[in-house]
Amino acid sequence: METAITIQDLVPLLPVLVVTGVAVLAMLLIALKRNHTLIGATTIIGLGLALITAFLVLPFAGQQVTPLLMIDNFSLFFTIVILLAAGFIAVFSFPYLYHLKDEVEEYYLLLLIATIGALIMVSSNHFLSAFLGLETLSISLYAMIAYPLHSKEAVKFPVEASLKYLVLSAVSSALILFGIALLYAQTGSLQFTELAMTGGSVADGYFITALVLLFAGVGFKLSLAPFHMWTPDVYEGAPLPATMYLATVGKAAMMVLLLRFVVASQALSFHSVVVVIGCMAVLSILAGNLLALVQENLKRILAYSSIAHMGYLLIALIALDDASTRLGVEAISFYLIAYIVMSLGAFGVATVISSSEKEFDFVADYQGLFWREPWLALLLTAMLLSLAGIPLTVGFIGKFYVVLAGVEGSLWGLLLVLVVGSGISIYYYLRIVYRMLLQPQLDQAYREAGWDSIGSYAVLALLLALLLLLGVYPGFLMSIIEVVSVSI
Amino acid sequence: MQAIPFEQGLMLAAALFALGLIGVLTRRNVVFVLMCLEIMLNACGLAFVVSSARWQHADGQIMFLMILTLAAAEVAVGLGLIIQMFRKFQTVDINVLTQMRG
Amino acid sequence: MLDLIWLLPAFPLAGFLILAFTGGGLPKPVVATVGAGSIGLAFIVAALSSYEFLSSGQTSFQLTLWEWMAAGDFSSAFSFYLDGLTVVMILVISGVGFLIHLYSTGYMSDDPGYSRFFAYMNLFVAAMLVLVLADNLVLLYLGWEGVGLCSYLLIGFWYENPANGYAARKAFVVTRVGDTSMALGLFLLFTQLGTLNIQELMHNAGQQWQVGSGMAVAASLLLLGGAVGKSAQLPLQTWLPDAMAGPTPISALIHAATMVTAGVYLIARTHLLFELAPTVQSLVAWVGLITLLMAGFTALTQHDIKRILAYSTISQIGYMFLGLGVGAWSAAVFHLMTHAFFKALLFLAAGSVILSLHHEQSIFKMGGLRKHLPVSFWSFIVGSAALTALPLTSGYFSKDEILLAALESGGSGTLLWLGGVIGALFTAIYSFRLVFVVFFGECHHPAKEVSGWNMTAPLVVLGVLALLGGWIHIPVDAVFSHGEMAHEEAHPSLFIHALMIAIPIIGVGISYLFFCSRTWSAEKLVQSGLGAALHKFWFSGWGMDRLYQAVFVTPFVSLARLNRKDIIDLLIGLLVTLTSQANRLLVRTQTGYLRWYAASVMAGVIILIAIGALL
Repeated sequence: METAITIQDLVPLLPVLVVTGVAVLAMLLIALKRNHTLIGATTIIGLGLALITAFLVLPFAGQQVTPLLMIDNFSLFFTIVILLAAGFIAVFSFPYLYHLKDEVEEYYLLLLIATIGALIMVSSNHFLSAFLGLETLSISLYAMIAYPLHSKEAVKFPVEASLKYLVLSAVSSALILFGIALLYAQTGSLQFTELAMTGGSVADGYFITALVLLFAGVGFKLSLAPFHMWTPDVYEGAPLPATMYLATVGKAAMMVLLLRFVVASQALSFHSVVVVIGCMAVLSILAGNLLALVQENLKRILAYSSIAHMGYLLIALIALDDASTRLGVEAISFYLIAYIVMSLGAFGVATVISSSEKEFDFVADYQGLFWREPWLALLLTAMLLSLAGIPLTVGFIGKFYVVLAGVEGSLWGLLLVLVVGSGISIYYYLRIVYRMLLQPQLDQAYREAGWDSIGSYAVLALLLALLLLLGVYPGFLMSIIEVVSVSI
Repeated sequence: MQAIPFEQGLMLAAALFALGLIGVLTRRNVVFVLMCLEIMLNACGLAFVVSSARWQHADGQIMFLMILTLAAAEVAVGLGLIIQMFRKFQTVDINVLTQMRG
Repeated sequence: MLDLIWLLPAFPLAGFLILAFTGGGLPKPVVATVGAGSIGLAFIVAALSSYEFLSSGQTSFQLTLWEWMAAGDFSSAFSFYLDGLTVVMILVISGVGFLIHLYSTGYMSDDPGYSRFFAYMNLFVAAMLVLVLADNLVLLYLGWEGVGLCSYLLIGFWYENPANGYAARKAFVVTRVGDTSMALGLFLLFTQLGTLNIQELMHNAGQQWQVGSGMAVAASLLLLGGAVGKSAQLPLQTWLPDAMAGPTPISALIHAATMVTAGVYLIARTHLLFELAPTVQSLVAWVGLITLLMAGFTALTQHDIKRILAYSTISQIGYMFLGLGVGAWSAAVFHLMTHAFFKALLFLAAGSVILSLHHEQSIFKMGGLRKHLPVSFWSFIVGSAALTALPLTSGYFSKDEILLAALESGGSGTLLWLGGVIGALFTAIYSFRLVFVVFFGECHHPAKEVSGWNMTAPLVVLGVLALLGGWIHIPVDAVFSHGEMAHEEAHPSLFIHALMIAIPIIGVGISYLFFCSRTWSAEKLVQSGLGAALHKFWFSGWGMDRLYQAVFVTPFVSLARLNRKDIIDLLIGLLVTLTSQANRLLVRTQTGYLRWYAASVMAGVIILIAIGALL
């Protein structure tokens, strides 16, 4: 096997290399001069540069770079998505951290390194690179979650959130690793595709144990029930931009990796794996939506709702069982983008009125937002309606896509659960909208929007535009996804 | 010299993994929890090394190197957090970390 | 130009958005300009594109704006379809719509909800245009529901009065019965024929289904259900008279000229399907006939000026259904157009009268207004003449065509024709009763015309159209050519012609003797035993409301009362309890203890492995 890295191999890796270079550059800049604006700008520009290179390397797609990474259209598509999301989060982080009385520059380093991990994850078709990417992402996230721990009247409980995430995430990593080790012991290869070649010839029970361990670990990272319990605590305790990162980039990268694994390994050819994933889907949809019902903390509501949304995605994943159709891949890809847009928007509204000194994360804080900040309230309403899956928003199209994939796979039971779950979810989303319409009672001192927030507002406007555009005219994105999903 | 059968090696790894997991569940001291995590990760590493020996190639051993590195990084962050926790709560009992719930 | 037909709904929609987002903050002249101007622009687009379409000699034109979504086998596009039928509809909707908007700028000028009014009106026109331009069922349904929503909003426009809210709800609920039927029909068509495109559907239906096959009957019956709901035909007609609670321009636009004819449009659009189900088609004719007679009798007994017009609308749509039922597709569409002209005229003129008398609507409190309100008077004369189908007015041509087609249709056609002629007699009587009572006799309330030019001009234009609209040749031949009976102008006997000309004139004469010269006394007739009973019966709209009250509402309410703590409620209650219990249970699992979380992970793994291994 040719494993030496050549120049031709490096070209498709350019986006990852650019982000790495920017991380090093930022580190050097910090050593020279601590300046929040400088580092923030470097990060955002660097992510932008990486985005441009991601477009530039599109012609080189379809290349296996060493046995570890597969740079194809699909991975480049999600490279672009992740870079955009990371860039947006960097923009949101800047004003949020602006008044933190601590050294804030390293936060951007962590963000960049986490992004490298995510980029590696979406391109890997080998367990080694997958694990490397996953851990790079996770370890950076531990630190991002704990970042404002010196803040006095602090955001909540960053240490608690970070430690909880660290311990549980390490447990889940160990589960994944042990699953991989068992697979490796049987197949003798760490390639995703190897399982498909040997599958069926070996004792099923063995593979199933290995795969369940693997899916349990992945399920933890995706916060799927019954491995979901950390989600609300970590979301609540983390500073908002870190929550945002965890909820969007973290989830999306993991989901793409899972998708690649499932497609390449044909793990769904084991019937009991389908059953296990089905159980996780049902539990996640029900638990997520039920837990959110009477929750009073916006971050926790979004955490619970993310559990449910990941459950919806599993339905599309199971639909892949029927290998004749790519609809499941398309549905997952579209839904992930929809979910990223909606989550960034919803958390973004919270971020622009919060700061590292004071977060407004209770629903009560948003009471009467319509009268105080009509545009922000409108934005949050749009995001919540989209999360609830109301037509003409991107959330509706995403859910529709998932349902369509489910129908193709004749997953009637799961679809019923989806409908029930969506029904419950409307209640808690609309509850927030309703609260925003009430007369404001408490006089919360939202963060003043200074020059540093201009970018955040621009990103929010862009997200709203995307939400509506993709809701009314999804054909454009759908056709792109249709093209890129052929390559995996 | 007879090589250790690979099934036995895997069983040892599984036993270590279970021990580590039980440790995570039962220890209240965060430092011990971290140590138990190390045991779990090393159990995985052992499984890789054993499997690698079975297939007579180095992939599994490389994986073990990766695991070592990442476990070290994880523990570094973890210990840092424990110091912060001790500063804040004057204890390393994991049960104080229950301010968020519901 | 044809590529720009998307502008048609876009202009009104833009108008709506502007008015909605400024939230009444604009000064009235601006609101009026935006509100009426957007429809005016739409009309210009409609006129230009129709001209181009007709002069190009195409039979149909399709414009795909964008593929809304295409996933797997399912695809749905935002695309518009233009043919002769659509041309007629868009011209009527945007043209009459513009005149009514113009009129409304004057009529509503004192209303505090001025901006809101125009916002709803614009939204309505946009939805209506989408409905008629739709190329596929999804878009059609969007428009269909959109107009229903606007109708609801506008009937309840003066929402301070609970009665108006009730009327709006009634309209919404009753038409919803029809809508549900239609939605089922659309689903049936989609699942059976595998496409959403209307033209393809019709084509496939012709290919796959035999004439009279069960599927065709079921699908057309379900669509008919939707049509009778929207077009206020038996048995779902009860909502329309109450819908008069809205401002009068609404009644003119929505409940006379456009929305209520959507059912006629739907049947005409899917006429190939109805031809596959001859029994349903003749059902359409009979529904139309019975409705037109019942509504005609009822109109004779009403004394609210708008309710009379409402019943007359139901009756005239009955004629259209009759025409559809006997396969005279183009005649029905023709009557749809002329009816839009003269009924909008009548409603707007009635609006002027009502406004001059400070919102008095009872015709017996009016009288002798001929001198005081000359414009309204002449509008009424022209409108009623057309409604009555006096020779050479627009209504004459269209109604004549329908009735002759009925006569020629063979079978029970003669019966249908006879019923239609009797209906025409009653049409003449009730419409001129209205004219004589309101404008002749002694004057109770001296009134002064309050209309400015913006209210007069639409009346004049509509008057001209109502008079001369019969000479317009509607370009629908290509649409219906394959379907329409090839009747080579079977010349009916002179007697028939003479009779059909004479009937309305006789009707006017009877009306004159009863209500103007008072040679015959209507009161005496009403007081006689049979007359009184009939009057009462007819006045209540054949007791339909009471019937529905007795058959549906009362049992429902009493059932509901009986069931206050019963099964369904219990079930729903149970669901809520279950949900909140589950919530409470689950919340308890979120203890915040890390070790508990880790334990749950481990338990989850073990259970999942067990499940995986066992299955």
